[in-house]
Amino acid sequence: MVMLSTQDRFPAFTPPRAVIEAVGLRKSYGDTIAVRDLGFTVGAGKILGLLGPNGAGKTTTVNMLTTLLPMDGGTARVAGFDVATEPRAVRRMIGLAGQSAAVDELLTARENLRLFGRLYRIPGPELHQRADALIEQFRMTDFADRPVKTYSGGQRRRLDVVAALVASPPALFLDEPTAGLDPRSRVELWEAIEDLAAAGAAIVLTTQYLEEADRLADDIVMIDEGAVVAAGTPNELKRQLERDVLEIHVETAADLDRALSLVAAIAGVTSNAATNEIHIPIGNGTASSLDILRRIDDAAVSITDFQLRRPTLDDVFLTLTGPTAEPASGGPR
Amino acid sequence: MTSTTVPAGTRRRTEARSAFPDRVRGALQDTATITWRDMVRTARQPEMLTFAVIMGVFFLLLFNYVFGGAIGAGTGVDYIQFVVPGVLVITALQGAQQTGTGLATDLSQGVTNRFRSLPMNQGAVIAGRTVADAARNLVGLVLVAIVGVLMGFRFASAAGAIAAIVLTVAVGFAFSWLSAAIAAKVRNPEMVGMLSMFWLFPLMLASSAFAPPESMPGWLQGFATHQPISVASNSVRALADGTAAGGEVLYALAWIVGMLVVLVPLSARLYRRSS
Repeated sequence: MVMLSTQDRFPAFTPPRAVIEAVGLRKSYGDTIAVRDLGFTVGAGKILGLLGPNGAGKTTTVNMLTTLLPMDGGTARVAGFDVATEPRAVRRMIGLAGQSAAVDELLTARENLRLFGRLYRIPGPELHQRADALIEQFRMTDFADRPVKTYSGGQRRRLDVVAALVASPPALFLDEPTAGLDPRSRVELWEAIEDLAAAGAAIVLTTQYLEEADRLADDIVMIDEGAVVAAGTPNELKRQLERDVLEIHVETAADLDRALSLVAAIAGVTSNAATNEIHIPIGNGTASSLDILRRIDDAAVSITDFQLRRPTLDDVFLTLTGPTAEPASGGPR
Repeated sequence: MTSTTVPAGTRRRTEARSAFPDRVRGALQDTATITWRDMVRTARQPEMLTFAVIMGVFFLLLFNYVFGGAIGAGTGVDYIQFVVPGVLVITALQGAQQTGTGLATDLSQGVTNRFRSLPMNQGAVIAGRTVADAARNLVGLVLVAIVGVLMGFRFASAAGAIAAIVLTVAVGFAFSWLSAAIAAKVRNPEMVGMLSMFWLFPLMLASSAFAPPESMPGWLQGFATHQPISVASNSVRALADGTAAGGEVLYALAWIVGMLVVLVPLSARLYRRSS
């Protein structure tokens, strides 16, 4: 992100600078390090996908950036304000939605929007207009005057996100906003999030779904156990990590062990004991995959099936975030 | 932060620090907003209020008709005149206990995180709830008082009735902050409900709410005479009977003010810390 020194002399001119900047964020709970040396920037109109499995530190990161949790180390600024020393000013600049922040179950959507808007100190008449406009814009008119506890999962999640928008904050933090949604509701929420970025908001989106990050994010930061394992645009990541995968199915558990010992030297091998399946990333195309197959076959391992396939984003994800083995994509948790 | 540039798309003001009167006005406004929220919740989910009223009526019936004969005969007092003010204070105490369970329920759910992420006065989350609970208590107390009157209780004057109810609401308000402080520390609604038994029952039973402390053993009498629920019961009784001497009511007010002075900052601090 470019910092223009002209901003001091021309205060009316808004330079393209990062709305959200995090440098060297750290957080630990006792001996457990939740987040280590995490840093990224998000510009206006951009979406940063913070991607990682459960317990990777996504929510901890969001909570630190939204002043809910003190940082152990590092600095963060939102809309120019220091998160550690100016939390009040930061809270005026952010909207929070998803896992970390809920709405009031007994109030209606309209009442929730008015409640949070009033707490953002938006004056009454302006607030009522704003709430009505949001309800219309996000197609919530049908259920806006029913208590939230009667909503479907999709309706509630939509309200969660919209509640973060009442004050039109320049920075939005959406913490797994689509978790547990059916595909149709998810796509609807994706479209809403894209509209928000198009309207100029800087968005941090945490997700476990690669598909979601791929579709929405301008930049992706993949984290595991609190540390960055990969970062870049979706295309950069895919190019950087694009490798063919050799899938081998073997007959027995003993075959699996023997085959695994033969390929132990290859980085990123995963296996699934339930299906007797090994996934081996291939660096140099088919020549070495033939080598591997020949080696395994020579060791009298009974191969029932094999195929060479292009990686899915799930492979990338598992390769980078998993320890070494299991489960293969689609396998049990 | 004098040269901070706010990105396009924001309409929020960016003054570095609001002046003191602005902050007080903001805190009051936030408290009013949270009060509104909690009152709407009470209206939509009136079980808490219903429960408090039923408990109050239950105590009235139980103590007046079951124990009233024995206690009244033993002490030579008109028991219905004695017990109604006590039951009013206990009803307020039950209502105060619900402040804690309500706050703990909020704390265990995501809505508190939303509040924390907003540029509001965080103390307003508790203040608004205690005010809303005081309003709920007022409604419950009036209903219990009406049942008391139907059972033969008499207020000496309308002014006395109003003063008695107002003092009772104030006692409940002070105990709401005790309940809130515990909830802010413990956070788990079930645990808060359980812990409340430890202050609710001793204060309720070892008091002059249902029986004159003169009949209690000496070691208990000191506590039973001077603890806030006894002082409050005596004051409410005196206000209702029109025999109030300033001293009794002042003693009750001193308890209320003393509790608030300690508990308001304490619960606000515990709330801010529990994240």
